[in-house]
Amino acid sequence: MSNVELIESQQAPLLVQGYYGPDGSASPITRALAQVPELAEVALPFIGRALAPGVLDERTVEIIVLRVSALNACPYCVATHTVLAWDAGLSEAETGALGSPAGERGRFEPREEALVAFCEAFCAAPSPVPRKLLDALRDQGFADHELVDLALVAGVTLMLNRFCTALGLEPSEATRERLEAVEAAA
Amino acid sequence: MSATAEALSPAAEAVRGAIADGRIGDRLWLYSNYHCNLTCAYCLTESAPRSPRRLLDPEEMIAAADEAVKLGFGRLGVTGGEPFLIKELPELIAELSRRLPVILNTNATLFTDKLLARVAPLAELPVTFQISLDSADPEANDELRGPRNFAKVVDAIPKLVELGIDLRVATTGDDRSPEEMERLCALHLELGVPEDHHLVRPIVNRGRALPGQMGIHMTSRELQPELTLSAEGAFWSPFAPTVFEGRSDTDLLVSRQRLPLEVPAAAMLSIVDSDPEGPDLSLGIRCG
Repeated sequence: MSNVELIESQQAPLLVQGYYGPDGSASPITRALAQVPELAEVALPFIGRALAPGVLDERTVEIIVLRVSALNACPYCVATHTVLAWDAGLSEAETGALGSPAGERGRFEPREEALVAFCEAFCAAPSPVPRKLLDALRDQGFADHELVDLALVAGVTLMLNRFCTALGLEPSEATRERLEAVEAAA
Repeated sequence: MSATAEALSPAAEAVRGAIADGRIGDRLWLYSNYHCNLTCAYCLTESAPRSPRRLLDPEEMIAAADEAVKLGFGRLGVTGGEPFLIKELPELIAELSRRLPVILNTNATLFTDKLLARVAPLAELPVTFQISLDSADPEANDELRGPRNFAKVVDAIPKLVELGIDLRVATTGDDRSPEEMERLCALHLELGVPEDHHLVRPIVNRGRALPGQMGIHMTSRELQPELTLSAEGAFWSPFAPTVFEGRSDTDLLVSRQRLPLEVPAAAMLSIVDSDPEGPDLSLGIRCG
């Protein structure tokens, strides 16, 4: 149970109604933000844009989101982005490694290992990411604008980790069903 | 622009334009409180003596009125709950009416001699009391509005007329027979309220009217956008900040933030402007 009321579609405020699907469905994050429509109106497009593939491809984004979420122990975000990462082409073994707090070094190619190392430094302390980690990313072809996007994706994820955990949001039924189906098949 | 005129932001200018051309209603509504000494059968806010009060701070109401003037609103409405349960209400209404003309919705059941003396100065100000009276038949009226309501209202109206207070009578529910309406009109005329000061409005199927399926269902498309502030936030219309089974409805919530008034007004305008053109479904109902 979440710690706040999640707004169902029949009660969705006017500014937020468009974020609910034709069948009335919406993510728990949307349904929580609907409590404050004037914030939902700007937060939802921002979150959507920040975490959408663009400068960074979908696989890269999902690696960052899942690793940061695991390091911040956010059950909601780990579950949700495990499923989204599968849709982005990550294997179950890869999401398992990224989604566990301890992690698992050596599973990925150097470019993605550098990404994981960045996430771990990002979450370890509120201090600059060590230059050698940024250089490692540059060696893998990341330009400055991509490093900025990477930091933004990690930062938005961190905000959502705190938001979802503080409010006790639970993954959607669709997410739970996907996870349970994979678990049952394993 | 004069040296003393305060420049408005582009958003505030847009709101002024929308009020001027009627896209947003020119009356700002203020829900002073949600509690009431009555428990009416169709009450939108499930108001009752023990309801959570959900008070709007009087200072905030005055600040909202000041901002309403700047944004181009032309009128204020004060409603509840029963506003006269607020101790300082007569003085507050006087303050508000020095900014914009005020219509005050009241059940007119609390007018003791002492309170009448306090409201008397309002006769000299642009203030109208809108008093609820649903039937000329005491039993029919009291079935909707509670025991002895009819007797209290017909006692209060002539006293307020005598004070020179501008009055309107509001009848909720538009399903009465012509004969019933005739009797009701004869009654308010006899009490001193002229015909053009009698308003009949439908019951809206929200709040306490919902389970009994009383009245008509209304959506934002059918309700005129009239910015309405309550303790719960800013809403689309005075028919919007409703309560059902103790829970505040959010379907017609515009924003939680009330002040600066520009914030909810601009949010309301963005909703108005995003409305696709369609058939005019408006039933033209208003709170005053």
